Amino acid sequence: MKKDVIAMLLAGGVGSRLNVLVRKRAKPAIPFGAIYRIIDFTMSNIANSNIDVVGVLTQYKPLSLMEHIDGGQSWDLFGRTRLVEILPPKTGEEISDWYKGTSDAIFQNIGFVEDYSPELVLVVSGDHIYAMNYHEVIAFHRDRKADATICLIRVPHEDVHHFGIAETDDQGRITNWVEKPKIARSNLASMGIYVFNRNPLTKTLTEAAKKSGTDFAKDVIPRMLQKKRVYGFVYNGYWRDVGTIHSYWRTNMDMLREDSGLRVKDWGIKTNQSTKGEVGDRSSTYISGKARIKNSLIARGCMIEGEVTNSVLSPGVRVARGARVTDSIVFHDSSIDTHALIQYSIVDKQVVIGDSARIGIGDPAPNKTFPNHLSSGITVIGKLAKIAPGITIGKNCVINPDVRLTSTKHKEIPSGSTI
Amino acid sequence: MSNVLGMVLAGGRVDELLCLTEMRPKSALPIFGTYRIIDFVLSNLMHAGISNVGVLSQYRPYALVRHIGTGEHWDFVGRSRGIRMLPPYRGFKASDWYKGTADAVYQNLSYIEHFDSAHLLIASADHVYRMDYRPFIQFHIENNADASVCFVKTRKRSARFGYGVIDRRGRLLDYQEKPTTPPSDWVSMTLYLFKTNFITDILQANAEESSHEFGRDIIPKIISTSRIYGYKHRGYWAYARTVNSYYNTNMDMIRKKVELQSWQIRTNLLERCTRADRLPAYIDGGVTDSVISEGCIVAGKVRNSLLSPGVIVASGAEVYDSIIFHDTVVQKNSKLKKVICDKDSVIGSECVIGGFGDEVPSAEFGDLLDSGITLLGRNTMVPDKTVIGANTTVYSSTKITATCIAPGSTLR
Repeated sequence: MKKDVIAMLLAGGVGSRLNVLVRKRAKPAIPFGAIYRIIDFTMSNIANSNIDVVGVLTQYKPLSLMEHIDGGQSWDLFGRTRLVEILPPKTGEEISDWYKGTSDAIFQNIGFVEDYSPELVLVVSGDHIYAMNYHEVIAFHRDRKADATICLIRVPHEDVHHFGIAETDDQGRITNWVEKPKIARSNLASMGIYVFNRNPLTKTLTEAAKKSGTDFAKDVIPRMLQKKRVYGFVYNGYWRDVGTIHSYWRTNMDMLREDSGLRVKDWGIKTNQSTKGEVGDRSSTYISGKARIKNSLIARGCMIEGEVTNSVLSPGVRVARGARVTDSIVFHDSSIDTHALIQYSIVDKQVVIGDSARIGIGDPAPNKTFPNHLSSGITVIGKLAKIAPGITIGKNCVINPDVRLTSTKHKEIPSGSTI
Repeated sequence: MSNVLGMVLAGGRVDELLCLTEMRPKSALPIFGTYRIIDFVLSNLMHAGISNVGVLSQYRPYALVRHIGTGEHWDFVGRSRGIRMLPPYRGFKASDWYKGTADAVYQNLSYIEHFDSAHLLIASADHVYRMDYRPFIQFHIENNADASVCFVKTRKRSARFGYGVIDRRGRLLDYQEKPTTPPSDWVSMTLYLFKTNFITDILQANAEESSHEFGRDIIPKIISTSRIYGYKHRGYWAYARTVNSYYNTNMDMIRKKVELQSWQIRTNLLERCTRADRLPAYIDGGVTDSVISEGCIVAGKVRNSLLSPGVIVASGAEVYDSIIFHDTVVQKNSKLKKVICDKDSVIGSECVIGGFGDEVPSAEFGDLLDSGITLLGRNTMVPDKTVIGANTTVYSSTKITATCIAPGSTLR
């Protein structure tokens, strides 16, 4: 089957700065905006750009991701000539190993790419919240007769050390490229979205592999810059790298602000709602006579009897009488018992917060174990954790998945603790 | 349960539901925000492990056909599993519209014979209940019954139902359809189990008669000649035969009498739910004692009401004691009280719908619409500042020109 363009979606990253949220799932599979997962944005962008063959490269904890992508039906990527294929690491006669990096993952699946003899290969990652019609960058790429085009976005100068940074000439041709520099002349950062002509890509991947090169930004792009035409396409829209707890929280909160630029509905973002635990098996949300809800997004199957303000609630969340949830994100089927208080927190799935427990209260001391990632005040509670009645947990805390906090052992957990 | 074939009676149009069943059979009527009435019987069949089901439909079946789809939502898809719509058809001899419930089954005897199942379970799609059919099937088999009829106890005896008298051993001694003085408290749920051979013979004999209803014509006739048993179901059972009963059944969800999630009632989410890619509900207003679905945006007040997906209640608007179907918009400062509003309608700003004139029954429909409910059909456009009294019916897509509509009116 011949295709003009196919997409290769890198979904194997650990995203370790997201801490307990990625303890049981890959970053692209993290719930977002109550009913979505982060990867839905890239999957929908691909589908909405009418690209209909997608290889999804998985490695780290892929189960929830595979279940979510299923047969691709949710994005209409299912049919005789339309498909999503999960490409996990595999053993073979010659190359057999874990994926050692982004470009190595594509290199190990070059056979999948060749099956479709595409003119162009679009490489994207499943880690970002944005909407993009990839045909704009493809048109740019063709217009400039480029061998490779990298999507770039302007970032604050103090953030350049997180990204690959490009300098371009007035035609958009990349003249200089530095990976994660301390300081840089340019602030045009790579979005991790690349368009390649297939032959130069295959050739460069093979060369890089011979020299143990495994990463697009470190090994493939510098190699291509020497001999090939590499361009930068500057994107101006909404784009968020939800790689830290704080940016993840803030981007979720963008769902509640009309002027945030995050327009999920207008963008036509689709998700899989029929897998186990998603909205498919649930009835509409019940709101009792004592409930108070302000500026919040509430998914199906919730039961709200308390107060919810500026928060995002996934399916099946229970907020009991007298409980208060403020400025927080609560994932599927978590239960907040009577008179409990939660503020500035991210609560993972199936967590139980006991009666009158208080989460996110106290001084703003940064987390002692992860001072760089957790200092903005947000407390994170891992999947299936159980917080006994009456316990107080401070700010910037991390409660690991499956932890059971009993009131005899931990009456008060100070800000910055990790349990 | 491969020895039991299921058949669902889903064809009936019920005039008593006025504009709500103008465009759809009653079984396809939306209920509890995101369900349709037929979801209850289909979920019961699924949970009983019955793997093949025929759906008898006649009146405007399109909504039903779309809703049932391939049957995957109730697990009726597989090598030996399936669900089939059985519409009326033309043939050499028997070719006509279905003339009654028994006739509908009779005209599909070839479908029944195809499965060669020992028993035939026939259930109405019009009731709201969760029942494990397996003990009922067990009861039928253990008694070696030719037919078993399922009954539920009523609180108030009404002439609308069929009543049974059952002895200690479960034998059905008497059955009366719509009697003036009911002989017992046990009401037929329109849920029957027959030996397939037995009912085939009976239906062939009935085909020669002039009336073809299970309740009126078949059950009373076979009581004295065959082994007929009555099974008593205990649990929630509700119906939507009239506007009042439809309204009250919906309100049972707010009263927490129906537990859809623990009952595991399944529905087809594609239509107007997942396919519409709705966001979760966004709430920034006073919502109390209500059921809210995805895609709703509520800035005004909602109390004691059920909102289906995609309903918008603008700021200053008040929706009280109401049931609002998919994608209806209530604009600024409008007040709705005891309104059932069908899909895709727009209530302009500063309207008052219902809440006055409750004592004036519908001039045209009398006691079918006399409890203060106002019905707005699908795609109703109510201009700004319109006032509509209680017990009014507006049929779908009616153009409203008057600014004040008296209680008890009918608009078409």
